[in-house]
Amino acid sequence: MSAELSADIVVIGAGIVGALAAQRLARQGASVLILEAGPRLERARVVAAFRNSPFKGNWMAPYPPSPWAPHPIYVPQDNGYLKQAGPYPYPAEYIRAVGGTTWHWAAQAWRLVPNDVRIKSLYGVGVDWPLTYEELDPWYQEAEDILGVAGADNTGSPRQHPFPMAPVAEPWAMRRVRERLAPTYAVVANTVARNSRSYDGRPACVGNNSCQPICPVNAQYLGINAVEAAEAAGAKVVPNAVVYRIEHGAKGRIAAVHYYAPDKSEHRVTGKQFILAANGIESPKLLLLSASDKYPNGLANSSGMVGRHLMDHPSTSLTFYADEELWLGRGPQSPSSINTLRDGTFRSQHAAYRLDFTNISQVLNVTNDLIKEGVYGTEFEKQLRWRAARQINVKNVLEVLPNPDNRITLSSEKDAMGIPKPEAHYSIDDYTRRAAEVSKADFARIAKLMGGTGLRYSADGQFANNQHITGTMSMGNDPASSVVDAFGRTHDHENLFVCSTGVMPTAATMNSTLTGVALALRTAGHILPAKNTHAGTMHSGHEASLA
Amino acid sequence: MALDELGSVAANRVDPVDPSRRRLLAGLLTAYTASLIPWALAQPAPRADLRAFTAISAILVGRQALDAAQTVRLYDALAATHPNFAADVQALLTLINERHIDPLQLQGVLDGEHSPLAPLPRSIMSAWALGVVGSGENARCVAYETALDAVIVVDVLKPPTYAYGAYGSWTGKPS
Repeated sequence: MSAELSADIVVIGAGIVGALAAQRLARQGASVLILEAGPRLERARVVAAFRNSPFKGNWMAPYPPSPWAPHPIYVPQDNGYLKQAGPYPYPAEYIRAVGGTTWHWAAQAWRLVPNDVRIKSLYGVGVDWPLTYEELDPWYQEAEDILGVAGADNTGSPRQHPFPMAPVAEPWAMRRVRERLAPTYAVVANTVARNSRSYDGRPACVGNNSCQPICPVNAQYLGINAVEAAEAAGAKVVPNAVVYRIEHGAKGRIAAVHYYAPDKSEHRVTGKQFILAANGIESPKLLLLSASDKYPNGLANSSGMVGRHLMDHPSTSLTFYADEELWLGRGPQSPSSINTLRDGTFRSQHAAYRLDFTNISQVLNVTNDLIKEGVYGTEFEKQLRWRAARQINVKNVLEVLPNPDNRITLSSEKDAMGIPKPEAHYSIDDYTRRAAEVSKADFARIAKLMGGTGLRYSADGQFANNQHITGTMSMGNDPASSVVDAFGRTHDHENLFVCSTGVMPTAATMNSTLTGVALALRTAGHILPAKNTHAGTMHSGHEASLA
Repeated sequence: MALDELGSVAANRVDPVDPSRRRLLAGLLTAYTASLIPWALAQPAPRADLRAFTAISAILVGRQALDAAQTVRLYDALAATHPNFAADVQALLTLINERHIDPLQLQGVLDGEHSPLAPLPRSIMSAWALGVVGSGENARCVAYETALDAVIVVDVLKPPTYAYGAYGSWTGKPS
């Protein structure tokens, strides 16, 4: 065993959530060490890997897993890392690398709506959160100021202070959708961590239309920006450090974590406080892996809830041809959506949802369709242009309720390092399926308003996954039914905190990253109340109330 | 589809055919296939083994001109992954020559007859249109910016990862 590393704060996972917690703590003067299982990546190499990939529609292709820190891959075939116990498949995608999964996110940086945190009280479903939207508001603002979030005030999420920047310029296609759907539907600009102006040393968007899998120009905030900010604040990052055990002392305090280097040499890292930030699948996996005589069911798991309440956002969709040329693919990928169905009394009966329009270039899909259909000769070019100009897609983003049977467990199979693989147990219940059915009427109405032809609904009962992994280490006030408290501290270990979308007790209808970051900043503020705020923060009056 | 009409439109766009070049492909084509790709006759085919591939490519993609360097690149990549590629390409060209098969009907005819040549058009189309040769674990990208799916829409779209333009340049109506 090599010499021990040590720090005031040890963070496991160098994604956007862990890195921003680390950055905040490092700025407070704490020594911070971030352990990341995967390697460092270079943006330019990711761009090149995408351009050279034969699977342009697969956004994981530019991010091949390292042998020592595998992550799930499904194209050209399942690499068998995330085992599926059923009954419904849960093909989650995530990236184990410095910077984490937001290397290839769409930068949708949404707040919840206030009622999302009270659905048990209001609608009799799910659970209430142990905090209010109002308590989250300043942390959302801090997160938005760091990420450089562009947005408008008409999305249903109230705020005390302005967004750091105006919404990103609306692509022509989305303008036409907005105009033609009004007044039946209000189409609004998405709230995104994408620059509508130069911000914090990063340029405005120039419309590369590859937000997923990679923004080539750094106009979109990524986890790697968070890591670099943490390093600038003094945090140290150790890549290729595969943590396989969290070690506790006699009284349950965490004493150290153990990691393998790629050569499987073992290393021990001690610290005063520990933050688990390895995402909603790898984090519960690690807690379960760290079982001991004192904690036979794994760490932080006296409730038995670690890994349970797995949630995401399933989607069904409609693809059709509009009766005018829209040419999706000009500008960023995810500009607009309909937010009016995120909340309402219907939530006692079926899931809330958001309706999302893509602006991803349709050329690749159309070309694949034409080849599949055998459209050759001069008709090929004519059809390619006609379809690429008119094809449009709308999908729902459906809420899933917390269900203890939906869970991550340890598989009996092991990876190349001898570490058990995660196993997903997942189902989609009638509450969510009813909403999918209801939303089909919205799809049809939208298609009609756009003069749609060639309507292609996704197959009944088939849901696409959105990679918004939530719930597996839920926060709550009751240690018997939750894993962490309202500040992300595990109920069972006073110096072990979880920063992750996995602490969200419900999934709501919004991409989970911004909420994960806001909660992580709140956790960091709880560990070490702020003396100074980060450079980008313009509204920092809230810290005093937490000190 | 009014192939004759489309063919004549295309033919009107090409320059007068150089007789010396015309001979490169002329021997491979019947009057029918020549009518599908009058423009291709005007293209030089630098290697003898590329002539049938050039003709088939022109028929399948329906383009007036095929980039010579890309033709070589795609041929070499396809030939490296398909056993008997040259012979199969020649057989497919002969089939179209003899039976006057409309390109739009070609795949249906091959599939319907369970022809061993049935996978060939899709492989060649995938190479030209997507820049991808092979499938599954053996798939390989041999072109991106110069693949036809990028070239055909280049007046409106940039290939993903390439900047569309200055901030906000995408707000106007595409023209």
